[in-house]
Amino acid sequence: MTSDSYHQSPRWLDAHLHLLDRQVLDVHGVPIAVIDDLELSDIPAGREIPPDAPPPMITALPSGPTLATRIFGGRPPESRMLRTPWVAVREVGVVIKLSVGRDTRDLSWTERWVRDHVIGRIPGGRHTPKGEESDHDQSDDRGGGES
Amino acid sequence: MIITELLGARVFGPEFLGFVTDARFSLDTESVGLPARLYGFIVSPHARSSSLGFERSGVRSPWPIAALVRWRHRGSFLVKWAGIERIDVSRIQLRPGFGRGSPELP
Repeated sequence: MTSDSYHQSPRWLDAHLHLLDRQVLDVHGVPIAVIDDLELSDIPAGREIPPDAPPPMITALPSGPTLATRIFGGRPPESRMLRTPWVAVREVGVVIKLSVGRDTRDLSWTERWVRDHVIGRIPGGRHTPKGEESDHDQSDDRGGGES
Repeated sequence: MIITELLGARVFGPEFLGFVTDARFSLDTESVGLPARLYGFIVSPHARSSSLGFERSGVRSPWPIAALVRWRHRGSFLVKWAGIERIDVSRIQLRPGFGRGSPELP
């Protein structure tokens, strides 16, 4: 571990320290999720790993309803976990920044569904309230073109 | 496989060695989004919990917490991917002659 390559490598990430439980921001800086897990490429589980086997890579950052399972144990069903591909990650720091918008991710589909089918049908629910326009300087389709 | 299946797993060499407290990944360059490869696991002989960065980054304050965490994770080491022989549910077997590296971040 004291080899030069180890100390000269430009970047190291520890799962607990740098990734898990970090907030995920989309390309506009809008929070969309928290990282609950890391999905790795194939690991030959349950059998011997060849000495020359390539190391697994991070393929996705799953997020989902993990509060109950953290308290009571177990794991949420795979179908409830939503995955952000690792290739969409632009920056890792205090938060994880993506190179894509939140509407391109499945992570916010419930929010979009409620917006379109519930909030949007309430009178006045299809435009930004007056006086708050300056708070939404980024492009946002919540206004729906009506005012 | 997901990483939470590996964190907390018991690690064995010739005998029981400890628990996986973290997984370290390496990036080829500073550019995130490029492949992040598993470099190895940090193994702690006494605790399953994370060392919160104290053990690995030279942070010494607040000193009571730093001292407590370092004591709980005394004897921690980094084992590279090449030193892993087999991964089962909640159990990792290391190869004979595996190397113990420093868990400290460079």
